Amino acid sequence: MTLPDKGKPQRVLIASSHPLFGQGLRKLLESRRGTVEVVGMASSIDEAMQSLAALNPDLIIVDYDDEQLNRDEFLARFVEGERKLRVVLLSLSDAQQALVYDRRTMAASRIDDWLEDWKIANMEETPVEPEIPSGPTRPNRRSSMKHFIVAGILVVLMTALIIFGAGQIRLLPEAASVQAQPIDQMFTLEFLVIAFLFSLIVVFLLYSIFVFRRKKGDLTDARHIEGNPRLEIVWTVIPLIIVLGFAFMGSQALAETQRVDPDALVVDVVGSQWSWRFDYPELGISSTELRLPVNKQVLLRLSSMDVIHSFWVPEFRVKQDALPGGKEFVRPLRVTPTTVGEYKLRCAELCGLNHYSMEAPVIVMAAVDYEAWVAEEAGLSADPAERGQKWYETYGCRACHSIDGSPLVGPTWKGLYGIERKFTDGSTAIADDAYLTESIRIPGAKVVDGFQDLMPAAIAASMTDQQVQDVIEFIKSLK
Amino acid sequence: MTQKTNFFSISLVRGLGGFLAGTLVGIVLTVVVRVVMSLPAWDAQAAWVTGAIFGVAGFMLAIGVMGDWMRWAKGEETPEHPETNPNLRGWAKILSVSYDHKVIGVQYGITSLALFVLAGTYALLFRTELAQTGIQFLDPKNFNTSISLHGIVMIGATLLGVGAMSNYLVPLMIGANDMAFPRLNAFAFWINIPAAVLLTLPWFLGGFDTGWTGYPPLSFLAPLGMDMFFLGVYFVGLSSILGSLNIIATTIRMRAPGMNYFRMPIFVWTALATAIISLTATQLIGLSFQMVLFERVFGMAFFEPAQGGNPILFQHLFWFYSHPAVYVFVLTGLGVISELLPVFARKPLFGYRWVALSSFGIALVGFLVWAHHMFTSGMEPYLRVPFMYSTLLVAVPTGIKFFSWVGTIWEGKLSFETPMLFVLGAISIFLLGGLSGPPNGVVATDLHVQDTYWIVGHFHATLFGGFVFPFFAALYYWFPKVTGRMYNERLGKLHFWLMLPAFYVQSLGQMQTGLLGMRRRIVDYDPSLGIQTTQLLITIAGFVIAIAVLIAIINFITSARKGEVALANPWRSRSPEWQLPSPVPAHNYEETFEVVGEPYDYGLGDKGYVNLHPGMAMPSAAD
Repeated sequence: MTLPDKGKPQRVLIASSHPLFGQGLRKLLESRRGTVEVVGMASSIDEAMQSLAALNPDLIIVDYDDEQLNRDEFLARFVEGERKLRVVLLSLSDAQQALVYDRRTMAASRIDDWLEDWKIANMEETPVEPEIPSGPTRPNRRSSMKHFIVAGILVVLMTALIIFGAGQIRLLPEAASVQAQPIDQMFTLEFLVIAFLFSLIVVFLLYSIFVFRRKKGDLTDARHIEGNPRLEIVWTVIPLIIVLGFAFMGSQALAETQRVDPDALVVDVVGSQWSWRFDYPELGISSTELRLPVNKQVLLRLSSMDVIHSFWVPEFRVKQDALPGGKEFVRPLRVTPTTVGEYKLRCAELCGLNHYSMEAPVIVMAAVDYEAWVAEEAGLSADPAERGQKWYETYGCRACHSIDGSPLVGPTWKGLYGIERKFTDGSTAIADDAYLTESIRIPGAKVVDGFQDLMPAAIAASMTDQQVQDVIEFIKSLK
Repeated sequence: MTQKTNFFSISLVRGLGGFLAGTLVGIVLTVVVRVVMSLPAWDAQAAWVTGAIFGVAGFMLAIGVMGDWMRWAKGEETPEHPETNPNLRGWAKILSVSYDHKVIGVQYGITSLALFVLAGTYALLFRTELAQTGIQFLDPKNFNTSISLHGIVMIGATLLGVGAMSNYLVPLMIGANDMAFPRLNAFAFWINIPAAVLLTLPWFLGGFDTGWTGYPPLSFLAPLGMDMFFLGVYFVGLSSILGSLNIIATTIRMRAPGMNYFRMPIFVWTALATAIISLTATQLIGLSFQMVLFERVFGMAFFEPAQGGNPILFQHLFWFYSHPAVYVFVLTGLGVISELLPVFARKPLFGYRWVALSSFGIALVGFLVWAHHMFTSGMEPYLRVPFMYSTLLVAVPTGIKFFSWVGTIWEGKLSFETPMLFVLGAISIFLLGGLSGPPNGVVATDLHVQDTYWIVGHFHATLFGGFVFPFFAALYYWFPKVTGRMYNERLGKLHFWLMLPAFYVQSLGQMQTGLLGMRRRIVDYDPSLGIQTTQLLITIAGFVIAIAVLIAIINFITSARKGEVALANPWRSRSPEWQLPSPVPAHNYEETFEVVGEPYDYGLGDKGYVNLHPGMAMPSAAD
């Protein structure tokens, strides 16, 4: 803030309708400076205009808080006028200090600082004019390139740093399933891209914060750059390609996790508020622990008895909600455990009061140990006929077929194998493996003469081929 | 003629009285009708649901926002520019009905901060519980209610904050003297108050345990608090719809001459895109909640499998709104970032047109991604793939914004007052939040992270980066314009330097624990996960954030009363509202302004963007 004539007393006009304002201000200025002369006090805009012409002051101080003085009108008049005047707006806020607002720079300073600046400016050989902008200095192309290269190098460094740092901390639990492999590969790819993109933006941000700072007192604007259409296209198309690529790889990974093993072990998982049950239909086992043989795919058929639950073992990665509603809402989830050990299943969909503790142990065992458990749990023997007898009971055959020769709702199984059968439609057949398989799978195909077509088809629907075979072996053993 | 002012002149007081009266009427009516129908007189659900609805109606009638409409219905005239009681000052004025968009904007802002503090308190409650394993003091029932209310009240706070910014700024930025429908504007604000009351009732009516997402069948079975939650959200949704209608009409019809769409301040673009989403999608959450409410109250069965319904249907209906909703939460905040960077970098917004259109790009794609919240729901497995593609696609218009921001500050002349600090912080946090999106968008990795704290970290980062930080930036930046006084810069910086690192600790902690197996919405977690230290750090971070916010609120309150008197344009912004005095006069612009330049031509040395006094010569930049 400088004044044209150094050394001579600066001539100041004060504009305010409060005489005390002017008096006080005059005392303040004159006591501090000795080089200030208050040449007039105006209390209205017209008076101020007249004083301007008559007194020709160097500086006008306007009382910013004075409501009687229409400051907007005042400033508009001054701006429109031919004289370019230095106008300072002075406000006495409730705080102890008086503040000076320089209208041109729109900056506030405490009055002491302002007077200091005035003094310094007065003492300089040539006055410095802090001007409001019109073209600011142009940084040249070379320095632009230099900034860009330095920032680019920092991006690479920061990316490397993040990747290194991420490698030092625990991010994912150990992977313990085949399905986890493609998932973890996707995670790795995602983390790399995240590290790079985060570094890209943050480095450019921080670089700008440290290098492109506004210098104190610099009131000029920066370079007028509106945009760069070619750059916009580049940074639209490249992300588009990356995104589509990612999505494609993601769908490949998803397909990998859904590979079907037709020989998968089947376990029905039933969630209810707030516990899990695991049914092994082929083995007749029902358990509160999920025991699985290692390296064998298990098909989990998920369902719920009440509200929506969700099956998740972090080490297996895959997750699937368990829905209520019966057969129509059963959802499959395939997992192939790869590592023997004990894990925990924890419900992953808010299901009410004790959602937090709805857990179950998941025990992955070596095949031998698993077989031992099955045998012990299910009392399953190696003898198919013995197993067949178990199915005879588990699947309810016993309700309609006796094994002692007496006819019940259905024909007895005693001595059934190999004899000739007569049917209601008059035809006959030998009761061999093929016939027995058909009778179980498609009950109504041939109805034995003297009996009715009452056997439900649903029974066979839940039996595996192995189990049907076991039943046939059992029948064979009933001579 | 002076209007008498007493306690009952304050609209809010009358409104709350009306709420109580309405609730009583509703309850009594229910009892009477039931007796007449030979049913047992008292059914808690029937009584409270009817009471709540009547309570809201009672509030809106008593508060007086519908006065002019009722006069019109009777064929009476009302004044063109209604003046509120001039004897209402300070808090009495804020708590009373006004049709002035600026007052309404402030009301939205204050209510937003109040709800933010309330929801934050719920968070501190359960975060204290979660700092250690084992259950210390918060039993599962109250835990479930507090996380559910934390979610919905924060969403309410966000919607109101968005409303505050849009309402205050849009008319000023386009040269209008108010919104297209000032009375509708007041109505849309005030209905949030009884809605907020409804959202506190669950504490007294058995709570609810479903989270703010309210999935049936669990929500079908939940206690009475569930109904209050559904109704509360319904009315907040109504406010959104009405408010966005106003913004759209105002922006399309009331721009000053010369202000074509590509000459509007960028904030108006984001407000417009936000309003379009809000106007069209909000109905779906109202609908889906209403359907569950009807299941509960009238025995219907849309989502109950036992009765032929399908629970996945609810999720489709719910997320069809709730995904676009997140863009309602963040778009205006991103607009604030785009608006402030040029001012503090003294450089044009890089690629203004691209940035403007990117908001619409985000809005459009945002409608096509909802099922990414349902990848594990049991929806058609193959349908997950197209949703994965559309979800990842959102990164493209969002990226345009990020690159533009970097382009704006690159080779600029940056200064770092509090608003700029919050804007820069917002960018880094929104970046973190956005980048944590692809693991969720890619189905295979989502199978692992769904329903874990990774998701919690993701959405808190996007919300803080897209709303909370920009909202504070906006509050500090426009504070002098709204109040005529300057906030305390030191306290503002302290707020920032506490909140930013704390939030990074919180986000990274949440993301890491989620990957390691920490599920959402659980009052206790297994020590064997090995995350207890991180949980403690997250809790501490939460408290630091709370302190920082408290500092800000104290700053706002004391500065509004005793802050330094502010200059009309302390930031030397080109934007129209900064050419007006502070605080802004009641009817904004005395004469329609003239658009004489582009909004962000810093560095051009031209005559500025708008001329408030066409007919008088403009001060040239060289003066």
